[in-house]
Amino acid sequence: MVKNLTTIAILSGLVLVVVVTTNLLGVRLFDRIAINLCIALVLVLGLQVFMGNSGILSFAHIGFMGIGAYTTAVLTIPIRMKGMSLPDLYPIVAGIELSPYVAILIGGLVAAAVAAAVSYPLMRLSDAAAVITSFALLVVLHTVMTHWSEVTNGPRTLFGLPRATDLNLAAGAAILAIVAAVAFKESRTGLLLRSSRDDEVAAGAMGAHIPRLRWQAFILSALFAGIGGALWGHFITSFSPKAFFLKETFVILGMLVIGGASTVTGAVFGTIIVTVTFESLRALEAGINQAKIFAEQVVGLTEIVLALAMIAVLVLRPGGLFATHEIGAILARRTRKKENG
Amino acid sequence: MLEVTGLQVAYGAIQAVRDVSLNLSEGELVTLLGANGAGKSSALMCIAGALSASAGSIRLDGADVTSARPEVMARRGVATVPETRDVFPDLTVDENLQLGAYTRRHDTEGVAEDRAKMFEMFPVLAERRGQPAGTLSGGEQQMLVIARAMMSRPRILLLDEPSLGLAPTIVDQIFEMIARLKAYGLTILLVEQNASKALAVADRAYVMRLGRIAAEGTAAEIAAATDLKALYLAG
Amino acid sequence: MSFFLQFMIDVLSLGGAYALMALGLVIVYGILRLVNFAYGELIMVAGYTMYLTSGFGLPWLVMAAVAVLMAIAAGITTDYVAFRPVRAKSVTAVLITSFAFSTLLQNAALLFISPRPRNVPLPEIFSETVQFAGVITPARNLITIAAAVVLLALFSWLMRRTVLGIAMRAAATNFTMARMLGVPANLIISSAFAISGLLAGVVSMLWIGRIGAVVPGIGLEPLLIAFIATVIGGMRSLQGAVLGGFLLAFMDTTLNFTLPQDLLKFRDAFTFSLVILILLWRPQGLIRGPASGQRT
Repeated sequence: MVKNLTTIAILSGLVLVVVVTTNLLGVRLFDRIAINLCIALVLVLGLQVFMGNSGILSFAHIGFMGIGAYTTAVLTIPIRMKGMSLPDLYPIVAGIELSPYVAILIGGLVAAAVAAAVSYPLMRLSDAAAVITSFALLVVLHTVMTHWSEVTNGPRTLFGLPRATDLNLAAGAAILAIVAAVAFKESRTGLLLRSSRDDEVAAGAMGAHIPRLRWQAFILSALFAGIGGALWGHFITSFSPKAFFLKETFVILGMLVIGGASTVTGAVFGTIIVTVTFESLRALEAGINQAKIFAEQVVGLTEIVLALAMIAVLVLRPGGLFATHEIGAILARRTRKKENG
Repeated sequence: MLEVTGLQVAYGAIQAVRDVSLNLSEGELVTLLGANGAGKSSALMCIAGALSASAGSIRLDGADVTSARPEVMARRGVATVPETRDVFPDLTVDENLQLGAYTRRHDTEGVAEDRAKMFEMFPVLAERRGQPAGTLSGGEQQMLVIARAMMSRPRILLLDEPSLGLAPTIVDQIFEMIARLKAYGLTILLVEQNASKALAVADRAYVMRLGRIAAEGTAAEIAAATDLKALYLAG
Repeated sequence: MSFFLQFMIDVLSLGGAYALMALGLVIVYGILRLVNFAYGELIMVAGYTMYLTSGFGLPWLVMAAVAVLMAIAAGITTDYVAFRPVRAKSVTAVLITSFAFSTLLQNAALLFISPRPRNVPLPEIFSETVQFAGVITPARNLITIAAAVVLLALFSWLMRRTVLGIAMRAAATNFTMARMLGVPANLIISSAFAISGLLAGVVSMLWIGRIGAVVPGIGLEPLLIAFIATVIGGMRSLQGAVLGGFLLAFMDTTLNFTLPQDLLKFRDAFTFSLVILILLWRPQGLIRGPASGQRT
């Protein structure tokens, strides 16, 4: 218990450090990066809840982010603007305008509900088939978002969300996500799920119904994704379905894998490290393009470096940086060693 | 011919084989006995190249093959029949045998000859030659994997618990087969739990316990040893 | 009657392409138990090769042959970059490295060639139409059916009648045992990737023949098709992959004809829902693969 509280304290502390530093520095750019970091934390922690405990790779996560974003959009875009942003919106919802804080939660719940409805069959599949099917699910969600113009404005940009996400809200959500992720990991469901990875038969004998456990984890992770997506929507205020597809999937997967999918600590550290690297590379790319070092615009350099980094980490430390132990456990062991001699 | 010195095999943190030294001369049938979990199969699989040794050495005709990969060992004339039998269930009996001769695949005449010989030795296999190997009974599968191993004309045969899970009459047949193979001059390392059957065909024996050799000697010596039961039951 | 024939030709030609896509994916999965996310990029590589070689006045067949060779080379490279270094570590690791490699290749195309579509030369015969028994269809469809039949027959012959094929089937069931018989692991694996590349290369010619241009993301749709066909067919069964391909083509073509106009754009969502239903009924796919006691 102490180890878990230590983990939560340290990881939350990191988030608070980010917040305080950003406020002190007062640079607009860092503000943006910090908010994006916190939102990414919510997303990556959601992915960790499912992947870390079930051992199954899910590609569908970003799709649920999109569901959260579009749900909150429909509920919060000011009624007078809805006429312009979503001209074909169904009359039932056209008259609704809620507080973003409520809508963000509803966004998460809708995402979780969709996950509950469609994902159960996936949970009975073998590992590889489940991964592949999750990939297909992402594509389907993306297709629906791209073509359901009444609700999403189709492939076009949807604008008009109120800018409700500030650093405090995002950081608060991130800290809540940390607590929830650790709590789930150590809950009965989480423990049973993790034990089923090592030995399905033994876990079954203990009463674990593996598909249902996985399903529960998946729903929870979709909740995180929906909330993260809604938060992001209220930060960026306009987006299109393109924002919820493979590139973003690749980035959050990279964050989780590099940090370590099995631990919450890994999710947090991975997100921080990749965000810092990413932003630096982006700045580099922009600098190169501005200085016109190459004739053409340099595009895609960031993704290439991230891809190479992912491959390198997986070769050298296949479980990621924090592969097995949470930081609370690592520190506890170190203190014990010091005490003993 | 085969010299194993100080072999250690580990599965992660678990030491399956702590210190095994044995040797095999040409034409001998040596049996490796011991209770379940003594480390016999791990030692055998390591010699075959399927498991890596964490320490020690394995020499074949003087050459160091400690870290040799399984396909290299096969090319050097070491044929292995694992405890799990491992027929290829979706391949026919014929195809299984054909694959057994992989290292000699260019010698089509010789391979055809050998296949005919196998079918003579194991008429049951001839009957079922077109059937998927997975449809064979346990005893038939055991015969198939031994025949498959013989198709490569090996110099050494590593046999892991051929009697496992088989009815007593079939076990008798299998051991008759083994005795015949020995009579042909084949060098055999036989891992077995069924000590009496193994000692009846073997020249020499080693007894393993908890990853180490606890006793060695001629088959007669080991058969007469009074503490055999103790060795088995103690671990 | 002519409608039925038209429908059959559509299904068979689409199914042929889908079956080849699926087969290219399963052959690696069956032996290595590893999903190759960079498979779609083999199609992209072949397409861009065609684009890059198009200025030299070479006959189309020569360019196509070069493109297929490049796909084979890319397949083998995928093994060395994304699979070999992490194969022993974990299944998840390989999924991610192949995904990373896929992103790498796509962004390389983006960076070094262009994000915009590039035209790919096609032989005139592709766009010629053929008429018979009241059916009008592009010659390309018939060529696709013919190519699929030839390749499937060739593949079947390889798997059943050659030592390499038998060794590959054995390796798919029990790699270690095959190695203990002397089957060289590296050869088997490289062969699997090479065959995968060959199939991807041929599919690329046929698939791009429908569109006429190549973009960095062109491999996504074939990858998805291969994935779904494989999952429906049963992850490790070669016949299953082929069956899955034709079944998927049947579903897609039927939906194309039956969905009302405004729902047509959601066709993929419908197909996927049907697939989910199939998986609800049979989670292990329609055809059982090679027997194996291991975790899939």
